[in-house]
Amino acid sequence: MAFSAVGIIFSSLNDGTLSRLTNDRTVAAIPFACRYRLVDFCLSNLVNANISNIHIVANYNYRSLIEHIGSGKDWDLARRTGGIKVISPFQTATSSSLKVFSRHMEALKSMRDYIDEFKEDYVVLMDSDHVLNIDITDVIAEHEKSGASVTMVTHPISKEYTSKVPRMMISADDGRIKDISMSKTYTQSNPEMSLNIFVMSTSYLQIMLDQAEAKSLNSLTGYFAMHFDRSNYRTYKYEGYVASVSSFLDYYRCSMELVNNKEARASLLWKKEFPIFTRVHNSAPVSHTSTAKIENSMLADECVIEGTVINSVLFRGVHVGKGAVVKDSVLFHGTYVADNAELNCMVTDKDVMISDGVKLSGNPNMPFYVQKNRKV
Amino acid sequence: MYCKKECIAMLLAGGQGSRLYDLTKQTAKPAVSFGGKYKIIDFPLSNCINSGIDTVGVLTQYQPLALNEYIGNGEPWDLDRTRGGLSVLPPYQGNKNSDWYKGTANAIYQNINFIKQFNPDYVLILSGDHIYKMDYSKMLETHKETGAVCTVATITVPIEEASRFGICNTNEDGRIYEFEEKPKVPKNNQASMGIYIFNTDTLIEYLETDEADEKSSNDFGKNIIPNLLNNGEKLYSYRFSGYWKDVGTISSLWESNMDLIGDNPVLNLADDDFKIFSRNFARAPQYHGEKSRVINSLISEGCQIYGTVENSVISGGVIIEDGAVVKDSVIMDDVIIKSGAKVYMSIIDSDSIIGEGAIVGKENADKSNITVIAKYSEIEKNSVIVK
Repeated sequence: MAFSAVGIIFSSLNDGTLSRLTNDRTVAAIPFACRYRLVDFCLSNLVNANISNIHIVANYNYRSLIEHIGSGKDWDLARRTGGIKVISPFQTATSSSLKVFSRHMEALKSMRDYIDEFKEDYVVLMDSDHVLNIDITDVIAEHEKSGASVTMVTHPISKEYTSKVPRMMISADDGRIKDISMSKTYTQSNPEMSLNIFVMSTSYLQIMLDQAEAKSLNSLTGYFAMHFDRSNYRTYKYEGYVASVSSFLDYYRCSMELVNNKEARASLLWKKEFPIFTRVHNSAPVSHTSTAKIENSMLADECVIEGTVINSVLFRGVHVGKGAVVKDSVLFHGTYVADNAELNCMVTDKDVMISDGVKLSGNPNMPFYVQKNRKV
Repeated sequence: MYCKKECIAMLLAGGQGSRLYDLTKQTAKPAVSFGGKYKIIDFPLSNCINSGIDTVGVLTQYQPLALNEYIGNGEPWDLDRTRGGLSVLPPYQGNKNSDWYKGTANAIYQNINFIKQFNPDYVLILSGDHIYKMDYSKMLETHKETGAVCTVATITVPIEEASRFGICNTNEDGRIYEFEEKPKVPKNNQASMGIYIFNTDTLIEYLETDEADEKSSNDFGKNIIPNLLNNGEKLYSYRFSGYWKDVGTISSLWESNMDLIGDNPVLNLADDDFKIFSRNFARAPQYHGEKSRVINSLISEGCQIYGTVENSVISGGVIIEDGAVVKDSVIMDDVIIKSGAKVYMSIIDSDSIIGEGAIVGKENADKSNITVIAKYSEIEKNSVIVK
């Protein structure tokens, strides 16, 4: 492996459509898959490719993200050289208008100083709302081999797919990008969805930013759409499991998919050579008591199970009391389900308390959400 | 650079733990797995940081590879400090002489220079083979109040077992007038926990005298403590009450693991006020299949459970396949128990594979008959292994 690359992760450019989950946090900090946050997958993908100079662009609500990342040591990113940097919006003493970037290109323009310092050959751009476990080394190797200006990771999507936000839909001929359009649904002409993982050389990024500056372009996808026909843009097709989280319902469905689909779990979480790293918390193992019953579920540490758990995802430190039944639900860390309570198709946020005997139920198309710190 | 500390800890972690047989063949006893995601040494190290002691010398000797790798720079216990922190202290070659650590006292003696660089008022001596949660700062307070030159932590043990321990005979105020190492007829049941706080000057003085004595076996219990008493020094006992277990034998290690499970465990590890820290690896969440049945057990990260688990402690990354049964057992990291295999009353060390339909251990066997499977074992399918 001879390449050197730097990673840029966009933490939140679609906070709006994930409203409930992003009340208290940015997209990248949304808890997912039992013990992770969305950003863990981006970071792990980069770290597993030996990329150790990583920038995370933050704009709104990034406190929980910063707390999660800390010094970066959980991803081996607490480094003297490189490591992890959070690029936050800033306000100067003389200007009261806070510069918040809402688009990729604006964010990249704002960090131009950093980009000009990059000594690495390549830049990998990533969004945090596509969750996958991909070998970035191979993407860069393909990029090098093909001589493309930009390589975009794509995923074939089904006809049933709909997103809450427009996604970049692509068609390619033998890997060469033929068409790009923005759509929320599958289109026959452009059957691949961009996973917004873009690989390009540092110099190409600089040229792109120069042109964007000159022409006042503020959209990265817009830039790609304007240039694909005369540039060598290529796709890298990723066939493994992808969770694309554009809405609350997407979030719930992807969580359930991980519980119900063995291939999804194997592709995302159980690749031995590509572990997913996350902030670790010295928590005790899960305690299953004499009355515990658990079926087809995922659990993080420090849960105490006295009741019944079926088809569910339980984050760290969830307590399920005696006689309680949790089914088809996602319970964030610290959720306390008291004795004899019943939850069905629920998403409970951090530190929710469900009292004795309370029965709550959503349905698979409309899961019921309980806000952080609420007592029901 | 001058760096003064009030109290530093010296943790004796060189013990072989020969009564743990296969479990310590390749691993020092303090690095033996415990409670799903811990190692024995997590307890004294966590106790240190929970007691405000941020400088710890860990003395290693026997099979230090796994232990050294595990403790690393001390980061999991917040002991990666610029001033102080954790230092691993192996035996070394000196200008005039070089030697293995001959005994507990000699091990500390060889590291007097390490102690001196922090100019501590007190030195806490610990051993790495007990499971307990203890706030050493309370012991230090008592040490200061009594004006002792040395305080020995003691715990009440059943009188019939007292002859296995060092027994402290004390006056009413706790002053020790006699210390008997493994007495045939114990006079009381206050056993030394192998935890001492010394005034630094006294410690150094007695270590040097002891070193000069060629007949000495250079041991705290056998030499240093009796010498202090013979010279009429002020020694006090500090009575500790709480969970404490010497996990030096297979049955006590098994028993201590069993103390963690149940509806009201004897030792609660999920206690936020006094956490036991350990080196955490970001393993995937545990997954339970549709037919899994788990009761009265501790299950760690990275496990995949498709079979039945009862009254057991399961470490990280263990796979228990369909139709497999694990009962009354301790399963260490990354073990695979193939479908239909049965494991009863056993301790299975890490990275072992129990073949399809194999039977390990005997159901409802006595705890003195625990079956132990060594690291990296492969048990053939349909075979039967019983101690």
